[in-house]
Amino acid sequence: MAGIAASDADVVALLMRQHGDIRNLFDEVERTSGDERRAAFRRLVRLLAVHETAEEEIVHPFTRSSVPGGAAVVEARLTEEREAKELLSRLDGMDTDDPKFLPELRALRAEVSAHARAEERYEFIHVRRHADKARLASMATAVRTAEKLAPTHPHPGTESAAKNLAVGPLAALMDRTRDAVRSALGKEG
Amino acid sequence: MGFNPLEHQGIPLDRQLRSWRELDVEPIDPDRSDPYTRCRIITMNGIEVEAVLFSHQFARHCPDPDVKRQLAEVRYIEQQQQKAVNWLLPGLASVLETTIAYEQVAVDLTGWIARHEPDPYLKQAYEFGVLEDFDHLFRYANLYEMIEHRKADAIVENLTEVMPGRPTKFHHRHPADNVREPYDRSTVNPLSRLHALTIMSAEQQTMNFYMNVGPQYMEPIARRLYQEIALIEEEHVTHYESLVDPGETWWEQLVNHEYNECYLYHSFMEQESDPKVKAIWELHLNMELEHLRIACDLMRRHDAREPQEILAPELPNVLTFEPNKAYVRELLDTQMDLTTLGTGYVRDAHERFTRMQEAVHGGEEPPSEQVMAQHREMFGHEYRIETEGEHPDLASRERS
Repeated sequence: MAGIAASDADVVALLMRQHGDIRNLFDEVERTSGDERRAAFRRLVRLLAVHETAEEEIVHPFTRSSVPGGAAVVEARLTEEREAKELLSRLDGMDTDDPKFLPELRALRAEVSAHARAEERYEFIHVRRHADKARLASMATAVRTAEKLAPTHPHPGTESAAKNLAVGPLAALMDRTRDAVRSALGKEG
Repeated sequence: MGFNPLEHQGIPLDRQLRSWRELDVEPIDPDRSDPYTRCRIITMNGIEVEAVLFSHQFARHCPDPDVKRQLAEVRYIEQQQQKAVNWLLPGLASVLETTIAYEQVAVDLTGWIARHEPDPYLKQAYEFGVLEDFDHLFRYANLYEMIEHRKADAIVENLTEVMPGRPTKFHHRHPADNVREPYDRSTVNPLSRLHALTIMSAEQQTMNFYMNVGPQYMEPIARRLYQEIALIEEEHVTHYESLVDPGETWWEQLVNHEYNECYLYHSFMEQESDPKVKAIWELHLNMELEHLRIACDLMRRHDAREPQEILAPELPNVLTFEPNKAYVRELLDTQMDLTTLGTGYVRDAHERFTRMQEAVHGGEEPPSEQVMAQHREMFGHEYRIETEGEHPDLASRERS
C-alpha cells in the first residue's frame, strides 16, 4: 500500500514536510531570545539554504525539462526565491536581538510561506503528475542527501560553531549542498 | 438591557450593494491571528451559505413573482456577505489547515451550544455530536503532521484539546437512525431555534467543504480520510436538520434565519479581537437588521402573524467562542459508547448498527484507523494535545 509512510521515496512528500520544518523553525525563532534564538535562526538559515539549493538542483530542472510550460513555472518560482533570498541576506548579518530583527523576520516568513505554497500548488502538482515512481524516488534520495547538511534540531557541540557563520560560509554551504546533490544524482543516474 | 434587533434600523437595502473594491477584504494572518477569529469567520461563512441555499429553495417553492424578486435582491447581498466573510481566510493556509479549523469550530461551537441549550432532548443531540467532531479533529491533526510536518497546536493554540473522541469508525450508523425528533414550534424556547439553525448550518458547510476539497489531495490516505469523514458530515446534517420543526412556514423560517444572522453578527462583534474583522461583523449586523425587517414584513403579509410570536423579546446572551475543555472531558467520560437507535440513544451495538458497520467497513480497518497506523509507523506515537491531563476514558489513553 503506497501510504504516506512509504513516501520517503517521494520527493514531493519530502519537500512538503521540509516546508513544515521551515515554518516550525520560524516559530522557534519568534518564540525564543538570546542564544537560543541565535541558534534556532542558524538552523533556519541552514535549512532554507539547503532546501532552496536542493530544489534548484533537483526539482526545478525536472519541471523545466519534463512539464509542459515548465520553464515559465520555474521562472515564477525563481523570482519568489530571489525576493526571499534578498531578505534573508539582509537578516543574516543582523543581531537576532536587534529590535529590527523580528519585523524583518516576519517579512521573510511571509515571502517564504507564499513561495512554499506556490511551489506546492503550481509546481509540485505537475512533478507528481509527470515523474514516474522511480524518478520521484531518485529525486527524494538526492534531497535526503542534502538534508543531512541542515539539522532541524540542535545537535550538541555544533551550535556554538554554527553561531559564527556569516554570509560567506552560507554561500559555501550552498556550494556543498550543490556538490552533494550532484554526486547523489550522478550515482542514481 | 439586551439588544432587540426588531427595534433597530439597519442600512436600507438599496445602499447595501458593494463594489469590487469594497469586497476586496484583507485576509487574516495565517500564523498569528486569534484561532477564534478564524472560527468566527468559518461559522459566519456557514451561516451565509445556509442563508443563500435556503433562499434559493424558498424561491423554487414560491409562486409569487414579487416575492421571488424580493428574495433575489436580498440573496444577492447575502452572496456578497458570504464573499466578504469567507475571503477573510488566507490563501496561504493549506486545505488541511482550514479543515482543522473547521473541526475546532465544530467542537467549540457545538460544545458551547450544548452547555447553553435549555431543552434536554436537544442538548443530548449536541452532546452526542460534539464527541464525533472531537475525534475528527484528532484524526485530521495526525494526518496534518504526516503531510506537512506541522503540529495542529499551531492552529488551535491550546484552546481546544486534540485527543480521541468517540472513534470515527463507530460513527457510521444506519441512516434511518440519524433522524431525530423535532422540537415543537409552538412551545420551543426561541433560543433553541437559533441553536438548531446555527449548528445545522455549520455542519452543512463542513459537509459541502469536505465533499469538494477531499479529492484535491494526492496522498491516498488523505483522499480516503476525507471520504470517510465527509460521509459522517452527511449523518450530522441529517441529525441536526431533523431537530427543526418541519411545520414552520417558509415565512417563519425566513424570519428565523434573518434573526439568527443578527444574533450571531451581534455576538461576534461583541467579542472580536481583530479590529478589521470586527468592522465587518458590525457592517453585516447593520445589513441583517434590514433583511430581518423585510422578512418580518413578508411574514406579516403572507402568514398574517406577528414575528414577535416566534421571536425572543431580545437577543439571548452572546454566543461565545471559548474553550470547552472541562465540558468535553465530562462527555468523554460518560458518553463515549453511545450510538443511536430510532430517535433515541443506546449503549449497545444493536443489530441495524452492526449490519451497517459490517457493510461499510467490508472487513477492513477504515481510513480513520489507517491514518493512525501510518502516523504511528512514521513517528512512533500518536499526535495529541492533552493540556488538562490524561484522557478521561481509560481505553482511549495512548498505549506506549
